[in-house]
Amino acid sequence: MYAYDAYDHALVKSRVAEFRDQVERRVKGELTEEEFRPLRLMNGLYLQLHAYMLRVAVPYGTMSADQMRRLAHVARKYDKGYGHFTTRQNIQYNWPKLSETPDILDELAEVEMHAIQTSGNCIRNVTTDQFAGATADEVADPRPYAELLRQWSTFHPEFSFLPRKFKFAITGAATDRAAVKWHDIGLIVKKNDAGEIGFEVLVGGGMGRTPVIGKTIREFLPEADFLSYQEAILRVYNEHGRRDNKYKARIKILVEAMGVEEFQRQVEEEWQRIKHIPIDVPAEEIARINAFFTPPPLPVLDDNVPSVDDLARKNFVFASWLKNNTNPHKVPGHVNVTISLKPHGGIPGDATDAQMDLVAALADEYSQSEIRVSHEQNLILPHVAKKDLAAIWTDLDEAGLGTANVGLLTDMIACPGLDYCALANARSIPIAQAITKRFDDMKRLQDIGPLKVKMSGCINSCGHHHAGHIGILGVDRKGEESYQLLLGGSGAEDASKAAILGPGFNEHDIVDALEKVVAVYLGEREEGEEFLATYRRVGQQVFKEAVYDAA
Amino acid sequence: MAKKLKGPQMILANYLDDGRVVFFTEAGGWSASPTEAAYAEEDAADALLAEANKSTASNLIVGAELIGATITDGKPFPSHMKHVMQAKGPSVRLDLGYQVSTDWEAR
Repeated sequence: MYAYDAYDHALVKSRVAEFRDQVERRVKGELTEEEFRPLRLMNGLYLQLHAYMLRVAVPYGTMSADQMRRLAHVARKYDKGYGHFTTRQNIQYNWPKLSETPDILDELAEVEMHAIQTSGNCIRNVTTDQFAGATADEVADPRPYAELLRQWSTFHPEFSFLPRKFKFAITGAATDRAAVKWHDIGLIVKKNDAGEIGFEVLVGGGMGRTPVIGKTIREFLPEADFLSYQEAILRVYNEHGRRDNKYKARIKILVEAMGVEEFQRQVEEEWQRIKHIPIDVPAEEIARINAFFTPPPLPVLDDNVPSVDDLARKNFVFASWLKNNTNPHKVPGHVNVTISLKPHGGIPGDATDAQMDLVAALADEYSQSEIRVSHEQNLILPHVAKKDLAAIWTDLDEAGLGTANVGLLTDMIACPGLDYCALANARSIPIAQAITKRFDDMKRLQDIGPLKVKMSGCINSCGHHHAGHIGILGVDRKGEESYQLLLGGSGAEDASKAAILGPGFNEHDIVDALEKVVAVYLGEREEGEEFLATYRRVGQQVFKEAVYDAA
Repeated sequence: MAKKLKGPQMILANYLDDGRVVFFTEAGGWSASPTEAAYAEEDAADALLAEANKSTASNLIVGAELIGATITDGKPFPSHMKHVMQAKGPSVRLDLGYQVSTDWEAR
């Protein structure tokens, strides 16, 4: 893991001190809310429906056990004993007091965490593959480059007031678990024939009210040019992105308006102009950062572990957990364990302080003290020996963290929705709870197979409904919550936009409608065919007929 | 500019320090209980907002706004579901929020 140097420490500490002063001035009335609002937002502090909300960055979703313990401590001491892990791989606290946020940030700074740039029209936390550096299917660990982006973009004076927020995602694996095509800039780490590292660069992806899938503007950007090229993209966007209309201010709108070829040409031109400025870091610096991400020295172990197989034969839930919640590791005899934060009937992404402490303890004992957060709102123990799986699952299960549903229908993404969020038009969490209760039967879930359901409580799409195999969008229809069903989206390497099926449903009928969609799939699927493949093969109409004709 | 509301209205705001939701009362104070809120219509509602905003000036509250109210037995309650949520607390955490009691603290 990256460890702060003296410069990082000083930067974060001075930022907390500055914010402490701003809070004090606000409380004394020396700053009006209008003056203070952009300052608090730059420090991740929102005012939501019931209270303030503090969004803490988990840079590229990687944290240590000590950091997780500190997050638990913050939940306990300053909040109400829980936190919410988000689709941006961050954590949100729902009840902090304004006057205590500087103390929270001081406590976080001690463990090299902060809330800088988790809001505002700046470059936000860079997200990546939750299995980065630990998965068998990756070209290279993307996190050193995510860290480079973090350092480059933190307090970047030119990019602190962009037309709108700006999100990077980077993956080092061919299987895209980071939804890179749905980001303002998406990066795919590649190797050329000479074995050199480079990046495919996509721009203009995004969700919100205008969903757009990113377009490739460079097939292979050499590692040495990594930052200067990003800088060129940001410069073109900063100059030409619209500032007159916040709904048209994201880079996706600019790329569409300009045309991708013209955008690419301007980036290229700008890049040639600024390339000579020493923006790119020297190879030694890349090597220095890379060294922080050296894989842990895991012993090669036997992939066959009889004790684990025995338990799997006896216990169907454990067998399902083994199948769904573990992912192949680079080192034989090891796996990545995904801890589901989607208990059936529970709140997607929420974890209590005690659960966070348990995950930290398990990470210390079994996973090199490392933890990841996924954009699908789960936690990951990335370096687990297979022989330890039964012990880990037993501990998790006792703490309500043993749900064996990763990648299945009930592993739903859901935004906080109208239960917490000031932007929401409808509640998300109760719908997720109703759906996960309806599909509580593990055998049935397993039979349905991989299926990504993603739900947002408003058009801003924090719940990624555009990228759901099944998406649900909550809207306000004449003062009543109404839920639209969307089908056929994907956030993976085969990215696609989900299409609205038809008129919306009330909060009860949406669950029935979803169940009908699943029934059509089960009736139509060919041997071994997953939901998305069936949908793409048979098309929308058959689903539409089943959902609306029978209604 | 927000659309001008029709019918009875009350004033909702957040306390500056802990962000908790409060309603402007007849007595010119703030209460977590919406049924204690003052309500008015049309120009009188605007006057109520002006009065409430004295608390904005003194840094007690932020974001005072007029919201639609439903009057039952002479007592107001927010009419829009978003404001109902604010008056009660999260519908998925009945152990949190003003639905527990109006003495409920933000922590």
